[in-house]
Amino acid sequence: MTDERQPLYEARHIDKNYGSVVALSDVSVSLYPGEVLGLVGDNGAGKSTLVKVLSGVHNPDKGELFLDGTERHWKSPHDTIEAGVETLYQDSGLAPDLTIGSNVFLGREKPKPGLLGKLGFLAQKEMETEALADLERVGITVPPSKRTVSQLSGGQRQAVAIGRAIAWARKVIILDEPTNHLGARQAIEVLSVIQAAKEQGLGVIFISHTLPHVLQITDRVVVLRLGKVVRDAPTSEFDAESLLGTITGLLETT
Amino acid sequence: MAMSSVTEQPAPPATSPAGRPASMLRSVLSNQNVLLVVALAILVGYFYSRDSVFISTSEIAVLLTNFSTLILLAVGETYVIISGGIDLSVGATCGFAGVVGAFAMRGMVSSHDSEALVLIVGTLVCAAVGIGIGLVNAALMNWARLVPFVATLATLGAASGLALVLSGGVPIGSDSSALGIGADRAGPFPYMFLVVFAIVVICWLYLQLSGYGRYNYAIGSNAFAARAAGINVRRHLTSVYVLSGLLAGLTGMVFYIRLGAGAPTSGDGFELIAIAAVVIGGVSLFGVSGRLTGTILGALILTVVTSGLIISNVSPNWNQVAVAICIAAAASLQALRVLGRRQS
Repeated sequence: MTDERQPLYEARHIDKNYGSVVALSDVSVSLYPGEVLGLVGDNGAGKSTLVKVLSGVHNPDKGELFLDGTERHWKSPHDTIEAGVETLYQDSGLAPDLTIGSNVFLGREKPKPGLLGKLGFLAQKEMETEALADLERVGITVPPSKRTVSQLSGGQRQAVAIGRAIAWARKVIILDEPTNHLGARQAIEVLSVIQAAKEQGLGVIFISHTLPHVLQITDRVVVLRLGKVVRDAPTSEFDAESLLGTITGLLETT
Repeated sequence: MAMSSVTEQPAPPATSPAGRPASMLRSVLSNQNVLLVVALAILVGYFYSRDSVFISTSEIAVLLTNFSTLILLAVGETYVIISGGIDLSVGATCGFAGVVGAFAMRGMVSSHDSEALVLIVGTLVCAAVGIGIGLVNAALMNWARLVPFVATLATLGAASGLALVLSGGVPIGSDSSALGIGADRAGPFPYMFLVVFAIVVICWLYLQLSGYGRYNYAIGSNAFAARAAGINVRRHLTSVYVLSGLLAGLTGMVFYIRLGAGAPTSGDGFELIAIAAVVIGGVSLFGVSGRLTGTILGALILTVVTSGLIISNVSPNWNQVAVAICIAAAASLQALRVLGRRQS
């Protein structure tokens, strides 16, 4: 697919091996502002590895990453966060023993004003209140409480994780299986939160096994199989059957 | 934009404080610190009834001096355990630092340098030795990829062995003025205890209220999430083992002041007593849960029990058994509480 605009975030010819296991081979993906890009593939297709390369957890063995047209070499997730790229990792994004507020502000804690702040002390109450406001701003309401994340239900936890990513993102949001663990109604709500983020001009990468969600929310779909991109096309060119066929390889792509 | 709610149900009302005395009682009883204070009061009462000298100014001063030899190790261990690790090397570090510090101070003592200068130099040397061992621990974990248990087990052996080699197995130095300073006190409070306690308070504030402490809990809770949130996990863990080593080194100096010499075996076995204090204080060995106030109470209970047994003329050989009973009682209480919380 050709597009005149400059991609917001782009990966070119990415290779990534774990020892002798080839996880990604010559993978190129581009994401445009205000676009929701679906990333699908069977287990072991390389989706989570690609997420970790895009979010700075892993360095690619080969290939380049461009954010806003500038080549980037991420040293750690810290760098991507600084650059405005937020990531929701599958199942492991939150510290379960910390409160909602501590999780939302994890890694960017607000210091207390004045000398105490300079000495490293935190404005905890302020963070707890602001966290709830930030989550509400992106469409997620959680009960105000000092409870730890581990005391929330699976759906609430996922909501906090998604809310945190969207509340902080300035450019790109990468969501790895955001509708996992969610009931039907909650999943719909998450999709509307993603829609709202897209309308603000953010680029969203949406990874999911739930193909109806992919067909519903994405503008374009990239299909990975065994570490390679086998199809990159507008969502309108797929239906449930052809998407599944492309993922499994039963439907030969041209 | 429409506000959608991803909560499954309206928030359950927070447990109403008044109208439900039963639940209030339960929440008080489920607070480890409350239980520890009660246990402490019972123990003190019991030993006082055995011999009223137990609550005398001089006896409290002895107790607080003993407490000073344990609490810094336990504080360091609390940081380490909450971050998801363990530090077995603190007791050996303490003995090794004491010996090295004693060698540094010996010449100064014999040439009659001022007491204050001697102690400052000794403290700095002990601190440096502790920091060094902390760095070795971190290097073994970061570069040699050892798990904390194995890395600190190795430094335990190395440090206690080196302490014996260096000292030839005998206490180094004979510093009567240090002994005198160790005995100086304001009422029942030895000055040394007050210094140690100030360090404990600072460590407590930083663990519970600062960004550094927050990272410590976050890493223990989910190291990947911490890293994904941009925290430099490796650097933080390095600093935690350095802190633990530093506090162990300072404990070496505490022992020096108390004994007037650097004894190579002064900290032997203290790593386990420190871990015991942490466990009794309610910190899970799997990291994350628990607070430093619990450790302080745990260390206090262990000190009271061991001192109390001595006062009651029980053979010191029973000490370890008493410590064991404290650990088992506290840990099973904690397990029962967790079970109860799951069932409710």
